[in-house]
Amino acid sequence: MALYQRVPYETANLQNTVEDESDREEEALVEDYKEQVHFDDGMSELGRTASFGGAAGGGGPQDMQAQLAAAATPLEYGAALDTKFASYDNYCNLFHYILNSEGPVDLEVPTYYWAWDVIDEFIYQFESFCRYRNRIARTESTGEEAQLLRDNPNTWGCYSVLNVLYSLIQRSQINEQLDAMKRNEDPNQVAGEYGNRPLYRMLGYFSIIGLLRVHCLLGDFSLALKTLDDIELNKKAMFARVMAAHFTTYYYVGFSYMMMRRYADAIRMFSHILVYVSRTKNFQKNAQYDSVSKKNDQMYALIAICVAFNPTKLDDTIHTALREKYGDQLVRLQRGGPEALPLFEDLFRSACPKFISPTPPDFDTPDLNVDPVDHHCKIFMDEVKNTMWSPTVKSYLKLYTTMDLKKLAGFLEVEPEKLRSWLLVNKQRSRQVRWSEGALLDGEVVNGSDLDYAMQGDLIHISEAKVGRRLVDWYLRNLARTY
Amino acid sequence: MGIAFDYAPDRPEHIEAILNGLDRYNPETTTIFQDYVTQQCEDRTYDCYANLALLKLYQFNPHLTRDEPVTNILVKALTVFPSPDFSLCLHLLPPHILAPPPASASASLSVLPDTPLAEAVQKLSHLNTLLEQCAYRDFWDALDSDDLYADLIADVNGFEELMRVRIAVTVGQGCRAVETAVAQGWLNLQGREFEAFVGEICGWGVDEVGVVSVPVNKENEAKGTVVREEVRFEQFGRVVRRAYEQPA
Repeated sequence: MALYQRVPYETANLQNTVEDESDREEEALVEDYKEQVHFDDGMSELGRTASFGGAAGGGGPQDMQAQLAAAATPLEYGAALDTKFASYDNYCNLFHYILNSEGPVDLEVPTYYWAWDVIDEFIYQFESFCRYRNRIARTESTGEEAQLLRDNPNTWGCYSVLNVLYSLIQRSQINEQLDAMKRNEDPNQVAGEYGNRPLYRMLGYFSIIGLLRVHCLLGDFSLALKTLDDIELNKKAMFARVMAAHFTTYYYVGFSYMMMRRYADAIRMFSHILVYVSRTKNFQKNAQYDSVSKKNDQMYALIAICVAFNPTKLDDTIHTALREKYGDQLVRLQRGGPEALPLFEDLFRSACPKFISPTPPDFDTPDLNVDPVDHHCKIFMDEVKNTMWSPTVKSYLKLYTTMDLKKLAGFLEVEPEKLRSWLLVNKQRSRQVRWSEGALLDGEVVNGSDLDYAMQGDLIHISEAKVGRRLVDWYLRNLARTY
Repeated sequence: MGIAFDYAPDRPEHIEAILNGLDRYNPETTTIFQDYVTQQCEDRTYDCYANLALLKLYQFNPHLTRDEPVTNILVKALTVFPSPDFSLCLHLLPPHILAPPPASASASLSVLPDTPLAEAVQKLSHLNTLLEQCAYRDFWDALDSDDLYADLIADVNGFEELMRVRIAVTVGQGCRAVETAVAQGWLNLQGREFEAFVGEICGWGVDEVGVVSVPVNKENEAKGTVVREEVRFEQFGRVVRRAYEQPA
């Protein structure tokens, strides 16, 4: 059953597909839709193939099922470029069919998790395609594959990918539904014709998570967090029912917080999900769990970085696991100084998302195609360098209540002016925006450190916040025993 | 004082509408955002979230990129240090812009164009590094050292004053008293101008012995605290419930 009535990769063949009445109607729908969604780039991608509806009608349910299953299945490792192109076209057809048929379509999806799987795989293929294209442009920019990539700049274009995600969100009215749920109203009232159906609702919902991921991959961390405005992060949320979705959400939210230097919030996110995983891992001995375990290690690396920036008391489970995995490294990270820099970089590179560049690379000047991971890593490392003396400063200050700046500079063997700057840097960095309620981007500036100080000329006044005894737990526990 | 990152008090309605809709991806809005950046530079307002949206449009449509808005956005981001805004902007710029002059350039046939934009961004990054390291005196020296900086900050109305205010804020958080000479270096002001700025704008006192004193505020008092346990009634819920239950 040929899904392609046209030779792929050539927009010129658009005419061939517009042959019969139904196709023409569909084209009209596409036009209509183009006007709703203002940008054209993505839509013309989606609109150029209109064969899927026909194929599904003529092919019977089995082909449809195979098609749906394929959309949620990873490509084999090292798949040829042709396969990647074909896969893109398949996605276009599928989403076009789902979004632009007359009215909502009835699909019997292969599994309960299909909606998540298909969005996840769609973005994964987008990500790996972009990275592949960038690598080719860097290394073998004159080869046959480079030529093919050069000729098809719009395949896996970021406008098309974003367009799919935003269209699914709009069609399903998912943001309106979530908003209604927040106000304890009936989401079905605002769901509309599409959003009332589980398929559309779930596709819309997971598209929000998908957007979070795409924005993060593109280095737009604030927009990534903004995307989740309507989703409340708690165990009742819909994503919590699909382990991989749950996991992905917290990874990208935590990472975005980290890049916005909100380390306390990042730690909170990573801890939450890592505790959850460690509690449930005994029930999750399946394929879904395997995919999670690599990300699991990455999050421990990220938590190590965040804790080095912002020393915090961690949950016991996390603390133990962290010591097991990164014991020695953690100590070195927390000690700071120039020796820790390579370690920060290694951990960051091993744990960061695989960043992508949204536009086709410049095949003519390979040197211009810097790996986006290098770019983001460099910016991150600047921050590490600027604050690398903070641990040293803190470790000394902890020992005194007052201290002369010049004397301390003598201990540290630096110029007093340099030390004065370090003190100011550390003071600034101890003030962090931290979430307390509302949307993810909300927050208040708080002092995240238990150590505080102020300079009076050359005299440093130091104070410490002590934690009082915790009695309530002890009291309750013993009270419970008496029953 | 919780302020959400995406909130800007002076944001006009039409910008708000674009930011909340899909038009934020529409290349046609580029000019609107560019005008908004110019406006921010003129009337000393600042809207990072909108500026990031413009950088994103450039990221998606590199052919639309214009150098001036990019550098103006970065210069504006400097004026709010030590917030992460400057870094967040850098993240959206094309990766090659920060790449050091190619290491492979030893083969003198480097094709990497040393574009004016790349040079400007790297210069501004240098300033940002000095600010983030609180090397304020070095910051002012660097600013004076190259005419290019004068060009870059020319569009941003009151840049030097904005920077002084910002520096004063960070100093005020960390210090109760500063030697006059040190403060003058940090603010790059001398004599009458210095006294006027410190006295009138910051509200700090200058005494004869050469010390500037900063009034006590929440950040620079550095008072030791004991964090007390927070007890909520709900924690006792089970105990209370048990009291009502019939003994089994």
